[in-house]
Amino acid sequence: MTSSAIAAPAMGARRKPIDGWRWAGRLFLLLMLFFTAVPMIWMLLTSIKSGFAAMQFPPQWWPAEPTLASYQKLLDPQNSVGQDFLRFFWNSLYVSSITTVLSVAVAVPAAYAFSRFHFPGRRFLFFSVLLRNMFPAVIFLVPLFILMRFLGLVNTHGSLILTYMTFGLPLAIWLLKGFYDNIPIQLEQAARIDGATRFQAFLVVVMPLSVPGIIATAIYSFIGAWNEYIYAYTFLTRNDQLTLPVGIQRFFSENTADFPGLMAASFMMSVPVVVLFLLLQRYFVRALTEGAVKH
Amino acid sequence: MAHVVLNDLVKSYGSFNAVNNVSLTVNDGEFVALVGPSGCGKTTTLNLVAGLIPITSGEITIGDRLVNDLDPKDRDIAMVFQNYALYPQKTVYKNLAFPLQMRRLPKDEIDRKVREAARVLDMTHLLERKPRELSGGQQQRVALGRALVRDPAVFLMDEPLSNLDAKLRVQMRSEIKRFHQDLSATVIYVTHDQLEAVTMADKMAVMSGGVLQQYASPAEVFAHPRNTFVAGFVGSPAMSLIPLDVTAEGGESVLRSSEGWSLRLSAENARKAQRSSTPKVILGARHSTLRLHKDAVPGTVPGKVYTVEPTGDVTFVQVYLGEHIVIVSLDPGALVRADEPVWIEFDQARLHLFDGETQQSLALG
Repeated sequence: MTSSAIAAPAMGARRKPIDGWRWAGRLFLLLMLFFTAVPMIWMLLTSIKSGFAAMQFPPQWWPAEPTLASYQKLLDPQNSVGQDFLRFFWNSLYVSSITTVLSVAVAVPAAYAFSRFHFPGRRFLFFSVLLRNMFPAVIFLVPLFILMRFLGLVNTHGSLILTYMTFGLPLAIWLLKGFYDNIPIQLEQAARIDGATRFQAFLVVVMPLSVPGIIATAIYSFIGAWNEYIYAYTFLTRNDQLTLPVGIQRFFSENTADFPGLMAASFMMSVPVVVLFLLLQRYFVRALTEGAVKH
Repeated sequence: MAHVVLNDLVKSYGSFNAVNNVSLTVNDGEFVALVGPSGCGKTTTLNLVAGLIPITSGEITIGDRLVNDLDPKDRDIAMVFQNYALYPQKTVYKNLAFPLQMRRLPKDEIDRKVREAARVLDMTHLLERKPRELSGGQQQRVALGRALVRDPAVFLMDEPLSNLDAKLRVQMRSEIKRFHQDLSATVIYVTHDQLEAVTMADKMAVMSGGVLQQYASPAEVFAHPRNTFVAGFVGSPAMSLIPLDVTAEGGESVLRSSEGWSLRLSAENARKAQRSSTPKVILGARHSTLRLHKDAVPGTVPGKVYTVEPTGDVTFVQVYLGEHIVIVSLDPGALVRADEPVWIEFDQARLHLFDGETQQSLALG
């Protein structure tokens, strides 16, 4: 007998038969894909139509005359539409980036402390971190508005940064704590014996090992802040301060007819998130599954 | 190198004393094993010496320095951990170099020392690998290397062999022993395996319940266990221990069991038995000091074989004397069957007597 003759039945035995359940599963996934992808494809297609083509019925599935005019208009700092869009974009980027940096700066030491130190009220504090997540975000809209007015932060980006941080931090801290729990404490002890201070041990040994967790935390905070609408809508009124979600909504409710422009703006708003995800998704997945099984 | 002195060391968590008034001196160049069952406080003691956890009270001196309040990095110690604790993102070379970098040694000196350590431990070809690409034994060797590049005053080892498989463990055991002899280093070595302690250490500190039970050379601990805990912990299989009553019969001391059998004591053992705080003692006998007879010989104790365990060079036989089991070692050729009636002869010169109440040894002097 040749070796291939032995290998063949083994291969066949390993392959599971494809039964009805499998096909049902695939069909379901296909439907889900259709459901999530079609609006995005439609958004992209509409953004390259002319204003007239976008309003046609029955709709043009593929634009007869594709054009990048809407993008040119949005990205041109010379006209008022472009100026507004770029300003909103910058505002969103600013608020989201600062939120991300501050969230990481708070979550890393907080998670580390919850993971490593035993102090009175540790359990209570740790679970009270989650308290915010037990209620829908809208509930806090009015109280937070009153608080921000009291602090004199209404109509500043600071109000949004603070709010987004309180929303993003609980999960960030929990996620990172799981990460630190998985790093053997002996690594830090070894570093401390090898000549590092406690802080150096954290910096040199623990931080590099928790990079995936930190990246996941950062993405999570960034996306949360980037997409948020209701608080931005409530806390900010001055046009030059608006973030993208509110800005797009407000601006185009004044120019209802310009669907290609609206879709082009929506598409560009989703670009940073998609790029971030594509670049860092392997860290994100690793962070979410870390600790699921013992190594 | 330096000596280490622990003086009335206490570590408590709330009302629980993990380490309770431990005092011992490790002389310069000595290999001391802290040994005991899990939870006996041996690792806590080691961590106290390392400075990884703060002490509750007492004093630790390394060399002639009181180190109570010094950071681990300032104590001039090196430690080998049970899980090796190699820095996973660094190569072997960088793992070895790390302690030297933290001490800001010049680059060429670091390189020289790292390569020297790698040569000694025969792992020059592994220098560019990451820890996860190494086998357990190689990782262990890197951990050892990281400790020895620095030439510290004291080496602390926390069960460094317990993650290795049996064969590798025996091999690394002799390597560590050799390494201690070559460097004449001061080593404090934690293990739960009394065999490791007996084979490697100059002195062993047997701990239980946070208390130091006995601190002496392995031979001394083996020959003269200070109490029933040490007697039962050191030696394999463990010393057989039987609680008995002391009675006087016709001017002689006789040990009598509640099931009716008795053992006449020699004059010296009788004097020991009289030192007991109550008329109860615990009789201890190692398997090698017992003899098994197939017929009733005067002065022997009748029993019944429970199990026969051949190990190759020696066969261990468990024998019920009343309701207590004693273990006897026999030549592998001996023919004994389970449930067979046998008679056990005690060696009066080599049996141990412990106080029935305090469990302390009744040895004279």
